[in-house]
Amino acid sequence: MNRIIDISTGKLLLAFVFIIVAQASSIFYHLGLGRDIAIGALRTFAQLFLMGYVLTFILGSENLPLTIAIFAIMVISAMSIIKGRVKEKQVAYILPTFLTMLVTYFATAFFVSGIIVDSTPWWEPRYFIPTGGMVIGNSMSAIAIALERLFSEMRQRREVVEMKLALGADFREASDDVFRNAVTSGMIPSINAMMGVGLVFIPGMMSGQILSGTDPLVAIRYQIVVMFMLVGSTAVTSIIVMLIVRKRCFGSGEEVLLSSR
Amino acid sequence: MNQSLLEIRNLAFTYPGASLPVFERLDLAVRSGEFILIKGPSGTGKSTLLRLICRLNQPQGGTVLFRGRDITVIPPAALRSSISYVAQLPQMIDAPVGENLLLPFSFRANSKKRAPQPETLYRMLDEFYLGGITLEQSALKLSAGQKQRLAIMRSILQEPEMMLLDEPTSALDPESAAMVFSIMERLNRTEKMTIMTVTHSDYRPETLRGIVYRLENRTLQLREE
Repeated sequence: MNRIIDISTGKLLLAFVFIIVAQASSIFYHLGLGRDIAIGALRTFAQLFLMGYVLTFILGSENLPLTIAIFAIMVISAMSIIKGRVKEKQVAYILPTFLTMLVTYFATAFFVSGIIVDSTPWWEPRYFIPTGGMVIGNSMSAIAIALERLFSEMRQRREVVEMKLALGADFREASDDVFRNAVTSGMIPSINAMMGVGLVFIPGMMSGQILSGTDPLVAIRYQIVVMFMLVGSTAVTSIIVMLIVRKRCFGSGEEVLLSSR
Repeated sequence: MNQSLLEIRNLAFTYPGASLPVFERLDLAVRSGEFILIKGPSGTGKSTLLRLICRLNQPQGGTVLFRGRDITVIPPAALRSSISYVAQLPQMIDAPVGENLLLPFSFRANSKKRAPQPETLYRMLDEFYLGGITLEQSALKLSAGQKQRLAIMRSILQEPEMMLLDEPTSALDPESAAMVFSIMERLNRTEKMTIMTVTHSDYRPETLRGIVYRLENRTLQLREE
């Protein structure tokens, strides 16, 4: 039960059969995805091997500055992915988003790793890094969705926001529904995940634990903590980011800065 | 008593990215109870002037004083509760007429004002040529002319000291436009409401205190006709 079957290099290469099938489908149906599938496969291969070596090194080193540095690099990478997705030039959202992510993700990873799992030390890389990784990966998508929604709604509904401002609303009152829509759109995927977990899908972390021989009853405890952690951290991070960025959509006279498209 | 309700000094505005200013060194004084009509061709900055007065845009230079106070030191929501702006294309929220009319009272800046009762609203709907419309029906389904009159009524309900009406008749048929002009003139005459409106039509207000200005792009000055 507790023995994990290793995948030999030959068998690993055999997994490329799946990529060949995808490539063949792309060629047969002229999907034009050949290049993306090839690059994606190579990147998956290279990035995960790199991560494997880095993790082996970190897990063995028990080095606090190194653990924190890896954590910061993960947040920076997440920020650059968000920056790539949210094409906004008129509002400076990057710095406040990055700082909020850094602080809230750190607090979440600390709470889960140091208090719930009660690892010693609290930054034990084996717990802290994967926890941080899951929080960052999940919440990053939520923030990108919420930011895109905030900016697009602020533009589309500019006239309604200005109508409310003209009737004596402050910027919060005028953009109340835009703010709410942005936050909920970011949170819905992680709430839906709580609904479907265990019925529709087995989460990656739990599958991984089971594959590596962990008792499923232990694995589910971890998974419950992770699901709750993801919803909580996504809510807190997206609300803080939306509060700061929404303020930046208005000028000193509480006028809308974003021009209509 | 001679103090202007609104005074504009040396106002300058240029659109972002534009090389020429829309206007610069623009001066204007408005006394309480006046009916100011600003005319001029499209693109001369008439609407921008109204938006600058209620701070929906920010000028690059000059000052606007409301009751002798620089508008930049008045909290924006309080300023806009006193100087009510109605946009060219009136906006309604996706809610019944009654909810749209009472929308200003849901904002903190108007929290001390008393929301009118349904009887008052129905009486006013009649006065705004909106008789037959119920408070329960959807505001989004009204015609452009009805929405415009409803928007003006909504602004009046919060009892502003001054109203800014941006091209209130540009999207309306002649009959609806005549109704809006008549409403503006009545508000000015009987309620002593200070009104500032812009248009590129030939309309002239039939009120005693009506003053017509022309905003000319080249001179960038207002002159009395």
